[in-house]
Amino acid sequence: MAVVTLERLSKRYEGASDLAVKEVSLAVKDGEFMVLLGPSGCGKSSVLRMIAGLESVSSGTVSIDGRVMNHVPAKDRDIAMVFQSYALYPHMTVRENLAFGLRRRAVAGAEIERRVHQVAAKLGLTPFLGRKPHALSGGQRQRVALGRAIVRNPRVFLFDEPLSNLDAALRATTRNELIKQQHELGTTTIYVTHDQVEAMTMGDRICIMNGGETVQIGSPLEVYRNPADTFVARFLGSPPMNLIEARLERSGDGFAVQSAGITVPISRVPPQRLAAHAGRPVTLGIRPEDLYERPPTELAGRSAQLPARILAVEPLGAETLLVLATKAGNEELIARIGRETLLRSGGEVMIVLDTAAIHLFDRDTGKAIAEPA
Amino acid sequence: MRLWLGYLRRTPLVAFLLLYTVVTGGPFLWVAAMSLRTTPEILDNPYALPIPAHWDNFIDAWTTSRYGVYFLNSLIVVVSAVLLVTLIGAMAAHCLSRYRFRANRLARMIILSGMILPPQLMILSLFQILLQFGLYNTLAGLSIAYVATQLAMTVYILEGFFAQLPQDLFDAARMDGYSDFEIFWRITLPIGLPAVFTTVVLNFIILWNEFLYAIVLITEDDKRTLPLGIMHFMGSHQLDVGMIATGLMISMSPIIVLYALFSETLIKGMTAGAVR
Repeated sequence: MAVVTLERLSKRYEGASDLAVKEVSLAVKDGEFMVLLGPSGCGKSSVLRMIAGLESVSSGTVSIDGRVMNHVPAKDRDIAMVFQSYALYPHMTVRENLAFGLRRRAVAGAEIERRVHQVAAKLGLTPFLGRKPHALSGGQRQRVALGRAIVRNPRVFLFDEPLSNLDAALRATTRNELIKQQHELGTTTIYVTHDQVEAMTMGDRICIMNGGETVQIGSPLEVYRNPADTFVARFLGSPPMNLIEARLERSGDGFAVQSAGITVPISRVPPQRLAAHAGRPVTLGIRPEDLYERPPTELAGRSAQLPARILAVEPLGAETLLVLATKAGNEELIARIGRETLLRSGGEVMIVLDTAAIHLFDRDTGKAIAEPA
Repeated sequence: MRLWLGYLRRTPLVAFLLLYTVVTGGPFLWVAAMSLRTTPEILDNPYALPIPAHWDNFIDAWTTSRYGVYFLNSLIVVVSAVLLVTLIGAMAAHCLSRYRFRANRLARMIILSGMILPPQLMILSLFQILLQFGLYNTLAGLSIAYVATQLAMTVYILEGFFAQLPQDLFDAARMDGYSDFEIFWRITLPIGLPAVFTTVVLNFIILWNEFLYAIVLITEDDKRTLPLGIMHFMGSHQLDVGMIATGLMISMSPIIVLYALFSETLIKGMTAGAVR
């Protein structure tokens, strides 16, 4: 049980001119599952390694339960970490791998044996206790790595992309297994990944990082629905949010956005926030699932039609993706529509968009213009 | 026809291997044959087969010619030197491959430069140093000199292997609470065993046959190692060829046993770096 707090945490590697991590501040609550999400090289692993004590802190602080940990050695932080490569000791059996950390901590022999067996039973590893890592499958190795962390009963779990070496099917089951274990144990967890599906499904909250900085912190749906900038908008969601060039204009009492030859009134955002951007170029964002082939009834009164050419039709079974080009401006859009479609590539369509689902971003900074109301 | 062509294509290789075997194995068999004959027999006909075989040559050599003493001296010097050089070399290799510190590259260069210098160049200064420390003409002194000469190669081989071990393993052990030395002892050393083993066998072979340092640094007969003991039979006026051959066979036997038992591990350890 622990609260992990990062305050203006920075990291500069020896010989590097740029900061790998820039003033990251983050508070992970007791028992929370926090996901650090970002593309490779965004500094998320460096943050994790600084929390673990494997990497020195250049400036700022890492504290656990209010105690500053910057100069506490890794072994005294009471943190367990699961590595991407699993890092199982190849010359030891599964039993020895699980017991290795406990033996160092002067736990009595009988107690070690009890805890190893308990964890092995929990993770279905009992039949493999006598085997060495090279005689295990990828999934089994992953479970040993997880078991090695659990058996120590630490204050904090750190995960560094633990699922990226597994195949797709195994990844999904292991993901659920991980969530289940974390809920049962209730241990504060920090999980690093570049996979947005993992982040969305596992995290209580997500911290999105880019270029060494935190971009947005929030619950998965909050971040998905109200991305703070175009980076987050594109990074979360598959296919990503469509971003097209637009202009914001005054229209009567309110505002409207002009893009791809159509004008759409903006109702979702308070007008006082829009005033500063009136008459200026903006970026319009709309998620593929907010584009429709035919307007559903609940969209009454808040739909707009956009003429587009169909570049490709990609039936995925449960749904169909349309790759479109706007007739004015020739900008590419992806729409996620129902599976029963008669549209064919090369044709034209009046694609329907949900005007309430439109996001606006400043063209220069990429920041969202409208904070959630 | 195709089969015949295949044989033809392989002929040069087979011929080369045959030649190589004759060149390397021939002298060995010749010495082995001579070791079972007496010197007058050998002088009469150097290439005859050992009929009758004088197995008691070996007992003679061991008892009357003090090969027992030389063998024991060799064993003491070489085993202690190999143990020490393996331990020190492995620790140095672990540090050089695992830790980022200021003088890392400089330290590596200084250690590895030991491989460049020919042993003849160092022998005089080594002699002086051992004399000053009262280690001249002692088994300990020779052993220490051996450690120094073999350290560079040992570090070179081990560092290459240790550097390939994934960093995550060491991070995991640190998280598990182990100190730097424990990580070396419980992670690096056991996982690096094939490479460690290679250096042990190589060093053993090289030092077991070492002659130059031994003859300069040891003068008393009681402290001679096997290569010196064999030379003992090469007087300025007479040459006891039979005893020399017997001595050579005794001297070679540990190496042959060692190689026969561990040749596979040795080859694995030496090629591990190249393949991966």
